[in-house]
This record gives sequence, C-alpha cells and structure tokens, in this order.
Amino acid sequence: MARIYQVPSHTRLWLALAVLLCSLPQLVKGPPWQAGLLLLVILIRWLVEQQRMTLPGRMVRSLLLIGAVVLTFYSFGRLYGPEAGVALLVSLFALKYLEVVQQRDAYVVIVLGYFVCATALLFSQAPGMFLYVVLCMTVLTTCLVGINHSDTRASGLLHGRRALVITLQAIPLMVVLFLLVPRVAPLWNMQVGGDKARTGMSDSMSPGQISELSESAELAFRVDFQGDMPPRAQRYWRGLTLSHYDGRTWQQAVPQGQPESEYLYQRGSEKPDWYKRLEGRRSPDQQYYRYQVIAEPTQRRWLFSLDVPFPLYGDVSLAKDMRLVANQPVSERFAYRVDSVPAVSAAINLTSQERQLMLSLPEGAGRKARGLAHQWRLESDSASDIAQRALDYFRDQPFHYTLRPPRLTVDPVDDFLFRTRRGFCEHYASSFTFLMRAAGVPARVVVGYQGGERNELGSHLLVRQYDAHAWSEIWLGGHGWTRVDPTGAVAPDRIELGLREALENSEDGRDLLDDLGLRRFSDGGLFAKVSQLMDYVDFRWQTWVLGYDSAFQSEFLEDLLGAVSPVRIAIALIVAVTLLMGLYALFLLWHGGNERLTLMEREYWRLHQRASERGRPLEAGLTPMQLCQAISEQWPQAAIAADNWAKYYQKLHYDPVSLPNKQQKRHLRSLRNRLYKLLD
Amino acid sequence: MQALDKALAQVGRVVLGKEEQLKLALTCMLANGHLLIEDLPGMGKTTLAHALARVFKLEYRRVQFTSDMLPADILGVSVFDPNTQQFSLREGPVFTQLLLADEINRATPKTQGALLEAMEERQVTLDGVTRPLPQPFFVVATQNPVDQAGTFVLPESQLDRFLMRISLGYPAPEVELQLLAGGDLREQVRELQSVITSEGLIKLSRLVGKVRASHELLDYVQRLLDATRSDDRFVAGLSPRAGLGLLKAARAWALLSGRDYVLPEDVQAVWPSVAEHRLSARQGGSVAAITQSLLQSVPVIRR
Repeated sequence: MARIYQVPSHTRLWLALAVLLCSLPQLVKGPPWQAGLLLLVILIRWLVEQQRMTLPGRMVRSLLLIGAVVLTFYSFGRLYGPEAGVALLVSLFALKYLEVVQQRDAYVVIVLGYFVCATALLFSQAPGMFLYVVLCMTVLTTCLVGINHSDTRASGLLHGRRALVITLQAIPLMVVLFLLVPRVAPLWNMQVGGDKARTGMSDSMSPGQISELSESAELAFRVDFQGDMPPRAQRYWRGLTLSHYDGRTWQQAVPQGQPESEYLYQRGSEKPDWYKRLEGRRSPDQQYYRYQVIAEPTQRRWLFSLDVPFPLYGDVSLAKDMRLVANQPVSERFAYRVDSVPAVSAAINLTSQERQLMLSLPEGAGRKARGLAHQWRLESDSASDIAQRALDYFRDQPFHYTLRPPRLTVDPVDDFLFRTRRGFCEHYASSFTFLMRAAGVPARVVVGYQGGERNELGSHLLVRQYDAHAWSEIWLGGHGWTRVDPTGAVAPDRIELGLREALENSEDGRDLLDDLGLRRFSDGGLFAKVSQLMDYVDFRWQTWVLGYDSAFQSEFLEDLLGAVSPVRIAIALIVAVTLLMGLYALFLLWHGGNERLTLMEREYWRLHQRASERGRPLEAGLTPMQLCQAISEQWPQAAIAADNWAKYYQKLHYDPVSLPNKQQKRHLRSLRNRLYKLLD
Repeated sequence: MQALDKALAQVGRVVLGKEEQLKLALTCMLANGHLLIEDLPGMGKTTLAHALARVFKLEYRRVQFTSDMLPADILGVSVFDPNTQQFSLREGPVFTQLLLADEINRATPKTQGALLEAMEERQVTLDGVTRPLPQPFFVVATQNPVDQAGTFVLPESQLDRFLMRISLGYPAPEVELQLLAGGDLREQVRELQSVITSEGLIKLSRLVGKVRASHELLDYVQRLLDATRSDDRFVAGLSPRAGLGLLKAARAWALLSGRDYVLPEDVQAVWPSVAEHRLSARQGGSVAAITQSLLQSVPVIRR
C-alpha cells in the first residue's frame, strides 16, 4: 500500500487560514452564495478534523461543483470575463480545498492559492490591497514550510516566522524584476468594474448640483507640480464650459455648423488653426506651470487643468474652449502632464457663430434682470465696466453665500437676484453670466474645482469634491476669454481660503461643517495627519508603482543602461539577480550557516566579549556563573551587579519551566547594561 | 535533601577531608550507577564503601578478587540437595545491595565478565533460571593503578559499565593528623547511624529523573560529547551511553545541590569522573588533562 503523506495538524490550521484569506477579497464583493460555499467547506473540514464525519464522497463533491458552476452563470450571466472568471476560480479553489487528504493535494491548493490571491489585484491596486496579497502569500508560504518540515511537532508559529523571512528576502528580488522585466502590453483588454458610479461633475449645471458635490470629501484628482504652484486664489481647475442656458440648467453646447474634428486637437494629429495661433503666442519668457495630474476614475471624458493647458503626456486632447478631454472615458486612475500658460489665452478668436451662442438667452426668463443689465449697458462704456458694475451689485446688495440656499420658484434668475439673494457659487455664476449676456457681453459658465489643499508630506495638491466650483468667463476684445468669479465678490474667503474656511466664517456654515463631518480634514488633529499620510502613500504608490508603465520604464532604463535593447536588459537582470543572490550567500556564510543565536545566547556572548575586550581574555567554556566570577575578580566593584546578572541568567536559561518572556528578557538586558557601566 | 546532607556528613566523619569525592560517590548512587574507585591500597576505599552501606542501611558484602576465582564464586552455584532430590541455588555474594569488589582487575576476564554482566542486567541467570538481584544494587569496585603485575586490566568496553570513576588520593596533612589522632576506623564505621533507608534511596533516585534539563543544557552536553569525538588526541570519543550517564549524573548532582534543574556547573562537576575512565589518549597524552581542557574550550553557551 502506498504510504499516505499526511499534512501535519498545525499546517492544516494554516491551510484553512490561507484559503480563507485568499478568498476573502472575492467573498466581500462577490455574490453571497460564495461566502456560503466557503463557510460550508470550512465547516465540513472542521467536522472532519473533529472526527465527527468523513470527507464527502465523489457524489457530493460533483454536486457541489455543478452547483458552483450553475450559480456562477446565474450570478454573472457568463463563465468568462474577469468577474465571472475570478468567481468561478474562487469556488473551485474552495472545492479543491475540500478534498485535501494528502500532501500532494495540499500542494495543489497552495499553488492555486498564490494565483487566487493575486486575482484580487485585478480589481484594486491600492497599496493596502498589495500588502494584503503579500500577507496571503506569506501565509501560503507558511503552509509550504509546515508541510516540508520534518519535525511534525514543531510550532506553527515558528513556520510563520520562517515564511515571513522568506517573503522579506524575496522583496529585493521583486523590486529588481519589477524595474527590469519589460512591460508587455496585455493580450486582451480587460474592462474591470466599468460601471462604477461615483460622485463628480456632471455635464450640466443647475441650481443645487454643485452644493451637493461639496458635501463629499472624496478625492477628485491630485496634482504634482514641477516647480512653483500658483497661489490658491489663482487655482481655477477648468473642467467644462457651459454655454447653453434654458432658464434653469446650463449645458455644454457647440456652435452650429462647427465640426468636432476642428474643435478638438489630439496630440500628434493635424493642428487646427486656433491651436497654431496658441502655439504662436507662446514664448519662453512667459510664466507657466508644469504639472502632472492623476485623475480619479469618473467614467467621463473631461479632465481638469489651469488656464490654457498644453498637453505633454497622456492620452488627451485639447478643445477649443481650452479644456482637456480624455480620448477614452476615465475608468481607472489616469495620469496626464501639461504646461499651463495663462498669457496665451488672447490668441483665441471668437467666430460669429460662437458669439451668437455666447449671447443667447432663453425666451421670457429674467425680465427684471434684463432690465438691470440694459441699464448698466447704457451707463458704461466698456465690457469690463459692465462686469465691474455687476460685481459691485453682488457686493453691495445683501447677498449671502450659503450651502443651503432656499428653493427658487418659477423664474430662477429674477427670483435669486431680487428676492432670495442667498446662494452657492452656481447661483452666482449663473446669474452673472445671464446678466453679462443680457448686457451684450459674450459670456459662459465654467465648472471645475477651485483651490485644493496641499499635502505637506508629498507637497502635492489634493483636490476633493468639496472644492467643486463654478464661475464665469466673459469675452473682452483684445484679452480673449477672461475669468470673472462673482462668488469672490460675495464671499472672498471661498477663493482666498477655501470652502471650509468660508463656511467657518459664515453664519450657518459652522453647523453645516459639523453635520458633514468635513471639519476633521482641517483641524490639524490626528485624523487630519493620518489622512494626509495615507494620501501621501497612496499618491506615491500611484506615481511610482502604478505609474511605472512601459513609457516610464523605457525612460528609466535609458537613464540606467544608456540604451534600451533586449540584450542590455537581460544582462542587467542577470547582474542584479546574481548580485542579490550573492549577497544572500555571503550573509549565510557570514553566519556560518548555523541557526541564528537566540536572544539569550547573544546576551551572554555580548557580555563575554565586552569583558574579554576590557580585561584579560576569557575562555569559551565559562558557565554564566563562572563568567560572573571572572568579572568580579577583575572588577571588584561590579561583583554584585555580575552576580545579579548571572543568577537571573541561569534561572532564565536553564530552568525549563517556561520560555523567558519579553519582560524577563528586558530585565536581563537592563541588568547587563548596569553591569556594562561598571566594566571600565 | 536534608537527609542527603546528613548522609554526606555521616560518611564524612569516617572518610575525612574528601567532601568532593564523597559527593561524587553519593551522586553515583543516586544516579543508580556503579562506582569504580582507583587508588592505592589503604586510602580508605573499603571504609568509604562500608560507610555508604551503613548510612543507607544497605546489605553489604565484600569480595576480594583473585586470579583463581571463578564466576560461581561471585554469582553462586546450584547444589544437589539429597533430601529433596533437587538442585537448589546457593546464592553467591552478588546477591546483596552493596557489593564491594576489591581489586577487580586481579580476576580473570571470565570472572570479571560475569560480574559486569550482573551489574548491567541487575539479574543473574544460573542453569537457565533468571533471578533478579536485590533492589537497590550497587557495585563499588576498586582497582590498584600501580601494581599491574598479574592483573587483567579492564578493557574500555567493560569500564563503560561503571558510571563513574573516582580516586581518593592522599589526605591533606591536617586531616591526616586528625586521622592519626582518632580511634579505630572500623569501630567508627560501626557506630555510624543510618540516615536513609534503602527504600528512601530508591525514592530519591526516582527524583533524579524528575530534575529538569533545558534544551540549552542538553545542547551543551551534546557539544561536550561531540568535542571528545572530534578531538584527535583521543583514540575514540564518548559513546551515547556515556552521554546518557553524564546527564543522569549531572541530574543527581543538581539534586544533591538542592536544585530541581540542571546547570552547566553540574555537568562540569561530574564530567571528569564520568568521562575520564571511558576515554584513552593517544600516546603521550594525559586523559585527565585533555578531558579537563575540553571544559575550558567547549563553549557553555552556543555561539
């Protein structure tokens, strides 16, 4: 009869833990029946362990298998694709675990486990998930160590420690492989989590929409500036320009008869005239900001940038209204690099169709407002004068800046301007633009974010949903499109300090801040610090690890190797791996290949060495008490301290009632330190 | 433990100034091992053995070994009883609790072998009948190291049967003075009080097995054994049986020192008397010196 190689009992426990950990990410987000299946499998294994039942036979296992396949199909509608595939894999993994009898089966489960836990990275590449996968792999390695350990009574914790050491040793190798192995484009394009709903900008603006956004502290995007960062009051992150107004909602619009191909410039394609003019206006002595933006997924195409952006890197296009557009909907974190040059905006022209669009107003809305605008037009001699009057009007009349404005009734424009006079940025931007158009000045609404908060650790900028903002742009002949922010006239704090401070200073804002729980982000307390640190880690992870794509890699390899060729990469790989292995080998040789000394043993030899260095050389064969006597002979003043040490040591080391605990070891060390001071 | 101290004190009254050796002898008894005393005649070997027997209230016999002795002289012989028409065993001197085998190297190897076998097995087989020896059973054998004419030197394999070997040596001058001033030693031995019964001794030797030895200590013992094997000044290293004996003796020594766990000091204390007689040096070396030097060179704590 063939001998059955049993899995040692402590390793069975580790194996159960490994199966649970590896499946957990899938169980959390997958259909509930999967968690039920795994619980059932673990329950059965536990009952078998307790010898209350035998392992289920082929019939039951086959039924479970068919059930799992059917349920997977029922839940996902198919058996392939990332979600369904991983779900099926995890079910099969659990079922394979159910039939582990011999070591051979355990090996299959463990190897499968390495694969299963790595699939979690398909769905999330956050640093936390990476650490979690490393943890799973360590537990799996512990199982391997346990199975291969000859002493079946050895402690399972010891195996865990060994596995941890193995994992840590693998990390430098992992870094080398990460840096050097060429990135291969995926063979198939996986759209994972494609329909995730997130908060964020929408492509229109109606009263109440942006104030809703400002209740969320979710991250919108992060910016890493190379060089200077513009001051807060200048940081207007333009996202969308809205030019069509129906009396309530502002929407994006393209002038009639203008083809989109002319309207969008994609890097590398033919340059439209307006882009050539923009480029022509650039000169090296102009101030510009160079920065990289890492946008959170929005499932939309629009991106955010300052002033006039010139795209440098990333799959993006520039639209004629000076905003960036992604060429694909942003379904995962997305990086792009741009130069923003404020000075060139005058280069953009305004066609007659565009002028017509930027002056259009809905029929019948805002009669009183139109009258006011008409009056201003008669009294002023320039467009900028009209804008100034409008801003003065907002400043002088009792307008209030609030996140919870009263509802507007039939005619929102008049109702706001002459009755409620309490509103959020969208109200001001909307009514200002309306007034400008009514006074004959081409104007549009811009939505985006304003400000952003600097992460002190990473010196990058964090823009959250509550930084969402809306403002206006008016056309001034000779200047081009010019930004005017009517909110600044009502609540200068919003622009100078940010939303939270603006609310702090307003009457009803403070309570609101507490309601929304936003205050904790800025109070300088532990939460703020921790959230800054987490953000820093996440940001660096994003830029250095996830952002290390093939373009970045070839840039890095070029710096490292001079030129990138397969032979050079291969040589670099071989050299790096050999070097690392050599280092490990040296380390092993250095330690004589022996098992490491325990803390107690090191403790003794440290004292032995110190006494030998300071006094006469001592032989190796001294018991702790003899060592203490040798010390007392040479340093009579240390006799008592030495005796204390030796008595404590021999009790700890030779009385095998229990292993010395941490506290005892610490006490021993303090005794030795006291003794050290006397050996001079 | 107090009883043991008292026992030591009692024996010390007749064997003067030899505390170390007495403690070793007692250790040997506690460890349930046989003792070999190597000394010149008249150094108090017999007195020691006799005193030990008195103190532990052991049945005591003494056999002077000679070259014409036969195994039957020690083990006993089957005699035909004409009354019962059957053979009956006449037990030899080995059927006792403490046997003093004086000058064991004078007997022929055959006779020596018979005794040593009885020592190891703690039973005697005569005419196909196996009889157990009394409990406890100790042999204290003596050997004269100088007078080698007409002797059969015990080979190392046989010496291995003795757990320990000690030698008493000449007494210190002031002790000798005291000895000379004292009365008849034989009288004094007879006056010794028994402190522990033989049952008590058995109980104590069971306690020896309960003395704890940590993994670190076992490691030290193993390293000592290993050192004798890798040291080329020795003909051969110590056997695993010697190692077990060393540990047992160290346990007994720890018990005698009033501790319930073994220290490396205990191992070092019994080391020469356990190791020396089992080892032989290559030409020109002194076993005692080399064995002692190992204590200095073998690290007590793993390094």
